[in-house]
Amino acid sequence: MLKRGVIGAAVLFLVGAAAYASFYIAPEERTMGAIQRIFYFHAASAWAGMTAFLVCFLANLTYVLRRNQKSDWLGVSAAEVGLAFTTVVLITGPIWAHPVWGIWWTWDARLTSTFVLWLLYVSYLLLRNMLEEPDRRALLSALFGIFAFLDVPLVFGAIRWWRTQHPQPVIMGSPGSGLEPTMSKVFFFSVLAMHALMVLLLSERYRLEKMRGDFQELQREAEAR
Amino acid sequence: MATLSNTAVLLGKEVRTEFRSRELLTTTVVFIVMVVVLFSFTFDPTSSESRRFGPGLLWLAFLFAASLMLQPCFLREQTNDTLSALRLSVSDPFAIFLAKLIANTLFLFLTEVLMLPVFAVLYNVHLLAVTPQLALVLFLGSLGVAIPGTAFSAISAQARLRELMLPLLLLPLLTPVLIASTEATAALLEPNPALRKDWLGFLATFDVVFLTALWLFGEYLLEE
Amino acid sequence: MKNLDSIFAAYLFGWAVFFVFYLTVAKRASALRGDLDRLKDTLNRGK
Repeated sequence: MLKRGVIGAAVLFLVGAAAYASFYIAPEERTMGAIQRIFYFHAASAWAGMTAFLVCFLANLTYVLRRNQKSDWLGVSAAEVGLAFTTVVLITGPIWAHPVWGIWWTWDARLTSTFVLWLLYVSYLLLRNMLEEPDRRALLSALFGIFAFLDVPLVFGAIRWWRTQHPQPVIMGSPGSGLEPTMSKVFFFSVLAMHALMVLLLSERYRLEKMRGDFQELQREAEAR
Repeated sequence: MATLSNTAVLLGKEVRTEFRSRELLTTTVVFIVMVVVLFSFTFDPTSSESRRFGPGLLWLAFLFAASLMLQPCFLREQTNDTLSALRLSVSDPFAIFLAKLIANTLFLFLTEVLMLPVFAVLYNVHLLAVTPQLALVLFLGSLGVAIPGTAFSAISAQARLRELMLPLLLLPLLTPVLIASTEATAALLEPNPALRKDWLGFLATFDVVFLTALWLFGEYLLEE
Repeated sequence: MKNLDSIFAAYLFGWAVFFVFYLTVAKRASALRGDLDRLKDTLNRGK
């Protein structure tokens, strides 16, 4: 209990430090001004969300091949955590865009791809709700999860390519634009902090799922008597 | 190989079943026509507007139609539990998927081809000169829709609210197919039609990726 | 700082999402722990 408290405090400290760095250590960006600082929060969340979905994919693969409950617990936890981070990306993107471009949504390539990613994993969770029998639910959602993750590079690639042919305002700076050295360091630190937060949320969610599994097991034992 | 001959036999069954009543094909074609007509009320169909919006609307109509047409694919195997019989009759479960997805691709392709003259007339576009290239785009696109569609039909058949689940699972995943097919089709409807080999290559890649995934994991989709 | 309210809003909404996620997980966990303990009691009494 104490260990969890200490780890939680450490993660919060890390995240707070990253926020501090975004405001006081990173230099001001030339064209957009202060609003650009949202980038450290926005892009770092995107990377952490992606890692969560990668964890989900690996858990899905493991479940299909080994059929161990823990992989199913990890899969659903990672999907939910990934969705939380992706939601943050989708919220902070328009908040960034509005002062800069005057509109909330520009169908920017990365944000649009993130939206499709969000829809894919919402479907994953909805599918799980529609399957009642636990083994069926675990297997079929894992299979869908595998297909969904394989689709992710294709979605990002197709939308990026399509956008180069029908250009629109780009929110976060084009992929080619480099980051100044201090900015890179702050960004790397933000990515680290967000991943720490992701792991924390993932372990909490996993514990809940494990508890649920134990509860159902005990219920079966009670009914058997 | 046993798998291929099993596939051929099952494919024959799928095609014969459909052509006996042709109900799936006819209802799908009518559905697409309805969607295309309704779409025409949402913009002013001058020639340049049609060229801009037409391909996208056409492919959107195909995607919606496919998510309906793919429902019965595994659903009809639940009555009388014919799926168990199928599973017992083949050594490789992939043969079942291969047969169904070839049949689905064929049916989709057929409905799309039947739609083309209607589309050309209603939206005032010239298709005759580019028909073979268009057929290639339609084929690769239909394959792209049918491969994940057949897989997810097996999944949604076992879920609640299955009529809603199939489109929900399928449509976000098919975003790359929609983009690639629309771009390739639009390029063929330009005053100087061009065959976009890059988008066709992308479609082919999509098809290969998901066909491989289906080959690797198909047997688990059909587990008891 | 220009656009301070936008930056503030972004961090606020962002953190709200993580906070709400954590709270819902924690709430479900404590409710479940209660059920789990009660079930264990019932089983032990039955022994």
